[in-house]
Amino acid sequence: MKVKFSYLDRQFVELDAYLADVRNLVVSGNFTLGKAVTEFEQRFASLCQMPYAIGVGSGTDALILTLKILGIGAGDEVITAANTFIATVGAIAMTGARPVLVDNDDGYTMNPDLIEAAITPRTKAILPVHYTGNVANMPAIMEVAEKHGLKVIEDACQAISAAYNSQPVGSWGETACFSLHPLKNLNVWGDGGVIVTRSAELNRKLRLFRNHGLANRDEVEFFGHNSRLDSLQAVIGNRLIGQTEFITNQRIANARRLDKELADLKEFISIPARPEYVKHVYHLYIVRVKRRNELLACLKKNEIDARVHYPIPTHLQRAAANLRYKQGDFPMAENDSRVSITLPAHQHLTDAEINYMVEKIHEFYLH
Amino acid sequence: MPQISPRAPLHQACIYNMDAIIPIPYVNVARQHAAIKDELLSALSEVLDGGHFILGEQVEKFEQSFSDLCGVRYAVGVNSGTDALILGLKAIGVGPGDEVITVPNSFVSSTACIRLLGAKTVFVDVGDDYNMDPKNISGAISPRTKAILPVHLTGRPCDMEPIMNIAKRHSVHVVEDCAQAVLAEYQGKRVGSFGTIGCFSLHPLKTLNACGDGGVLTTDDPLLWERLKIMRNLGLKTRDDCVLWSYNSRLDTIQAAILLVKLRYVERWTARRRENADRYRGALAKISQVRLPPAEKKYEKAVYHTFVIQAENRDNLREYLASQGIGSGVHYPVPIHLSTAGRELGYHEGSFPMAENQAKKVVSLPVYPELTEMQISKVCSCIQDFYNKH
Repeated sequence: MKVKFSYLDRQFVELDAYLADVRNLVVSGNFTLGKAVTEFEQRFASLCQMPYAIGVGSGTDALILTLKILGIGAGDEVITAANTFIATVGAIAMTGARPVLVDNDDGYTMNPDLIEAAITPRTKAILPVHYTGNVANMPAIMEVAEKHGLKVIEDACQAISAAYNSQPVGSWGETACFSLHPLKNLNVWGDGGVIVTRSAELNRKLRLFRNHGLANRDEVEFFGHNSRLDSLQAVIGNRLIGQTEFITNQRIANARRLDKELADLKEFISIPARPEYVKHVYHLYIVRVKRRNELLACLKKNEIDARVHYPIPTHLQRAAANLRYKQGDFPMAENDSRVSITLPAHQHLTDAEINYMVEKIHEFYLH
Repeated sequence: MPQISPRAPLHQACIYNMDAIIPIPYVNVARQHAAIKDELLSALSEVLDGGHFILGEQVEKFEQSFSDLCGVRYAVGVNSGTDALILGLKAIGVGPGDEVITVPNSFVSSTACIRLLGAKTVFVDVGDDYNMDPKNISGAISPRTKAILPVHLTGRPCDMEPIMNIAKRHSVHVVEDCAQAVLAEYQGKRVGSFGTIGCFSLHPLKTLNACGDGGVLTTDDPLLWERLKIMRNLGLKTRDDCVLWSYNSRLDTIQAAILLVKLRYVERWTARRRENADRYRGALAKISQVRLPPAEKKYEKAVYHTFVIQAENRDNLREYLASQGIGSGVHYPVPIHLSTAGRELGYHEGSFPMAENQAKKVVSLPVYPELTEMQISKVCSCIQDFYNKH
């Protein structure tokens, strides 16, 4: 049996409805912004319970545009998590600011106790990452940010519909940045991203910034990027956004099932704490295991597409050489890169596939 | 027959009957797609069946075909023409403290890309052909000049021989803004093959167009090719090896599949644009209030992304055309140095007389391949009518 990590071949089995929408768009010839994007932005904003959403080219662009519009650039520092996808750190670096990393806690998100030590007079913002679909400890992070007068930007690329104390991600920071990449919980047919904010002023500026700074067709208010969510992708997004609740619930159910089925292997598998006040949406179902690489090889051999997010921590990437971190600076993130494994938990998994996966993992450790 | 109010945006396409002469919207992508809809949708289906939406086979195929089309060794697909310029300049090392020489009469992104990298824009004025006037370049070069960024505006190639000579003499790069000029030729070579890097847009209204934003860079340098492929993909050399911090700017796989369909037609479409331009030249030559684009030199081949005339009483002419159901455009009414954004550059009214004067008079007429001969005659007779009355 094959257990795939990507579910895209199952998601689009019923293609006709999508293609009918695409056909209508193709014959209209309006491929830049317009009705489909506006509709998607409105639905996305209400999904996040926020007043404004702005569709952009990617989750990475969502971060870059936010940082720049907040005036962050050369000479500034932005604090983020060491254990994130490299795009978070890359986005900070693209503004000219210096990324300052802090280690994560057991739940794979920024450890709030480590933030204050990383603050300097140049620190402008804290950029927590709701990594894996878990939610960073936002009450604690907001407290530090307020105490030091720092802005907060949420990297919610992996965490659509996640919540902490019933408060949805995206509602704490100046903005929150979401990705619609094909493997995200809510996805489109290529790169795409969304920024949400409660600030009318940021909403106005970001709309200009993603569209060449054009106040109207002929007036350029300031020099901007071209980073628009494609209308074609918005059409797909409008079809899928209604399924967000199903997707989220299914992923949570699959994760709970895996938690339960793997509980008897606690000698080998350490499942992060699952506090009941956090709604974790399991973009990644990630656990710490013994003999990780052997397990990974065994699962691959059995055609189970487990993955590692990520084998090289950000601060030890070649790109990070200029940040001058070294081995040992972030012990949790470094250890996680050696012991973590991500199992398929997507919404299209069948019971049989989950059973098969659980069985193979038991065989690996118990035989 | 739908009416266009004279107050409606003049560039706006409108719903119309395919066989009618009027209205003639300024752009009409729908008409292009009506003819190839099935091919487009089947290309899309192939991507969907593959379940792979980021880079991959279609993007590589497109890059190969596009580099062949331009007569260069390599092409790299990115998210937009603007991103192509940003990545292209960054790849040759443009950053804070550097200067880049370009023109003020372009779309804003050819200047924005310089500003977004923290470098300084130095403008030079243009010639009659709306392109960078090479004789202005030497005076603009300073020890900080890193690159010259000529824009092949309207789809007409810049005078590349003197530009390349000046660049060579001063050891600066040339990065070509080819956003409007796929297939344009100069001395038998296609644009995008002269400079260190060529930057193209594949925006829906360009002559080779995706169904959304897209862009592509061309180069003959294998090291730049490798670097650009890493730079458009977050600095990733492999899935796990991040070698530099960078953007996420990939040409969508579905857009590459769509573009592969359109590549089958683009030379035909371009030939039609050139025929349309010839028809306009013939029919408008006798109207004294209209100034046609300068005739193509024998070593130039323009592709007429826009067909730009200079017209007396321009704004009233456009309103009249709109009242007759004919769309038109102005590319561009405000030179970049006079825009709100451009104030920071420190230029003023009078800094670039050619560009400023042209901005007051230029009007772009519909020139897309799907226009019929009768439609072009109609546009021309309406222009004649307007000047008869005024």
